[in-house]
Amino acid sequence: MLWIGFAAAAIVVVAVNVALIAAVRRNRAARGTQPRQVSGGRRVQFRVGAVLTVFAAAIFILSIVFTDRARETPATGSAGLAAAHAAPLKIKTTGQQWLWRYDYPNGAFSYYKLVVPVDTAVDLELLSTDVVHTWDVPDLAGKRDAVPGKINDVVFRADEEGDFRGQSATLSGQAYAAMRTEVEVVSPQAYEAFVKSQLAEIETAQDRVVGLIENGEVP
Amino acid sequence: MSETPRPELVVDGYPGKPRPRWIELITSADHKDLGRVLICGSLGFLFIALVEMILMRLQLAIPENSFLTPVAFNRLLSDYGATAVFLFAIPLALGLFYYVAPLQVGARGTALPRLGQIGVALWAAGAAVLYSGFLFTPSEAGVNPLAPLSELAFLSNNGVDAWATATGLATLGFVFIAIDLLTTLRNMRAPGMAWRRVPIFSWAASVCCWLLLTIGPVLLAALTMLMIDRNYDGIFFADGSGGAPLLWQHLSWIFFSGAYMLVLIFAFGAIAEIVTAFSAKPLFNRGVTMGSLAAIAVLGTLAWMQNMMTAPIGIGWMYFAMLMSLALIVPFGLIVFNLIATMSGGALRMRAPLLFALGAISAISIGLGAEIEQSMVAAAWQLKNTTDATAATHFALVGGAVFGGFAALHYWFPKMTGRTMGESLARISFWTMAVGIVLAFVPLFFAGADEGQVIDAYKFFNHTGVNAYNLIATIGTFVLAAGIVMTIVNAILSRENGPEAGHDPWHGETLEWFTLSPPEPHNFDVLPDVRSARPMRDIREAIAHRSSRDERPARESQPVA
Repeated sequence: MLWIGFAAAAIVVVAVNVALIAAVRRNRAARGTQPRQVSGGRRVQFRVGAVLTVFAAAIFILSIVFTDRARETPATGSAGLAAAHAAPLKIKTTGQQWLWRYDYPNGAFSYYKLVVPVDTAVDLELLSTDVVHTWDVPDLAGKRDAVPGKINDVVFRADEEGDFRGQSATLSGQAYAAMRTEVEVVSPQAYEAFVKSQLAEIETAQDRVVGLIENGEVP
Repeated sequence: MSETPRPELVVDGYPGKPRPRWIELITSADHKDLGRVLICGSLGFLFIALVEMILMRLQLAIPENSFLTPVAFNRLLSDYGATAVFLFAIPLALGLFYYVAPLQVGARGTALPRLGQIGVALWAAGAAVLYSGFLFTPSEAGVNPLAPLSELAFLSNNGVDAWATATGLATLGFVFIAIDLLTTLRNMRAPGMAWRRVPIFSWAASVCCWLLLTIGPVLLAALTMLMIDRNYDGIFFADGSGGAPLLWQHLSWIFFSGAYMLVLIFAFGAIAEIVTAFSAKPLFNRGVTMGSLAAIAVLGTLAWMQNMMTAPIGIGWMYFAMLMSLALIVPFGLIVFNLIATMSGGALRMRAPLLFALGAISAISIGLGAEIEQSMVAAAWQLKNTTDATAATHFALVGGAVFGGFAALHYWFPKMTGRTMGESLARISFWTMAVGIVLAFVPLFFAGADEGQVIDAYKFFNHTGVNAYNLIATIGTFVLAAGIVMTIVNAILSRENGPEAGHDPWHGETLEWFTLSPPEPHNFDVLPDVRSARPMRDIREAIAHRSSRDERPARESQPVA
């Protein structure tokens, strides 16, 4: 997709600048010729208009084709998470100043780092609790804004394991530059294990807090 | 001149002691004085914007720099945006329109001079509010302070209030000036000047005035809502109580998209006037060029959602925004083609105004070429809010407002002062700026498109592959700023010491060259009947014809006025 845009931009820049330089070189007053008092030409204008319209229409159509392709929900592959074959793995993603919280389907959650299984369709439901943030990991998916009160979706499938990084792209206050996005793509087994251990840790922590409250150590 | 009896003059000089020039200037309701206030003021704010830009670029010269704190960076960023848009680009365009357009259409003043005067005063008040930094803390919410960040809950000091007041006052001033100028252009044209004969720069002025009357109130409404939200517990942009954070984005982007187009329409209006004069040819397909300028205003404003491609809006709206953006290729392309067709077969005199005009076309072509990519939906999902967007916008707007604005400044400077700007300094300035803009912004294309460096961030991290790009961009910003400062210095020096220009130094074809330089307060003593789009050429031909017939010596450079 980017290369089409780059090609279109390159065509525009080269065409305009080459024509400009040629016009300047060929029409200097130093040649001493009398300027031709031509004030218009209908046919040439129609032709130029037609060429420009076709150029714009071609970019528009190509862009829609590629955008529709990019919007297709990817299918979970054979190496992916079994539970995500019917529908993408939904992970609630909440932006707040200045970190991300990820809520996994079974009640586990994590901050800062998102862990997803490889070869699995993932649907991040973006929401913000405060100001507008942008979730962006360039190597995995296009960027989307997390806006308070309106869900936005990022759907992607990671084809290989590894760490991926990105950065929030909407000014959100003082620590905006430090609002990184981290995604760790792991095998489905490792994902299940991660979610389980998160859940266990959360339960342990909650038990501790409940215990503290019961003992009267925390008001 | 004073020997000539002037029965039509009501006041010939003031009775009593003459007041100092600066008091005359700030109390005048004459469009030429107000235009000069706007032009000089906006050039001053251009300098301030450059200082802010350089400070931010110094912070971004090396990774993880600690030259500026995040708060200081965000304040500079917010003030830079407001200064560049509201205190430099729009007022420079309006100032030149306001000075030149009434002269071009042969008006002896403007239709509603007091309204224009109030407009300029409101703009100055807005500038004063933005920069009375000792009374409050500047906004930290960025160039476009997106709600909810701009709400009281997240920025509780009164910086955003000041930003909203300043931009609101300035915008209200622009609307007043637009009303005055539009009324003038519609009602006070010289006899015979039908719309098809209106000079292209005045046509651009009229389009820009309509545009401001459309987008100005939209921003004023949004700012009012923001102020109610912040000061009276309003809920316009608050989530969950019936408000919508996206509402701010829609309203503000309508204004900013329109303002973007305004700068480009102004630039192309000036460029068309300059290219025509310096080619000694009529503008190629004048009607199509005029229509294209109007089409840019409509399509460009309708493309506002191009800035919201990553927001939660329907894909249909994204396609609509993309359609409007890509449709702009046609009018922009036609204008550029017609300008090049105007030059071809002409006799180009490569003076400073033409040099800056051609540089403006070149820079705008790079910026708008990159905007094509920004407006393609799937590409925008990658490129939006990366430094690629910064570079695209800056190529187009520095191309339009600085290169285009300087072209217009060099072209009409002799009309305003009676002197031309120093040619050699102008050339050095131009080439310095040309090198500077490439060094400052081309690396940002790569940093944004290839490495995904985000905009507005006060620092970038080491090992993200953007160190070299940012260092070059910082050096380039210094070069660009040096070039720009040279032209400002050139203008200041040439005002008193430039070479005498006479009344018509460029052999212009429009009526502003029919009067004195600088014009008298009432602009014209007499006006010719306008019989074509090139009244000055008609007059020169008539004089040449008459003098050859009567064998009388041709008139001196003394104009007919």
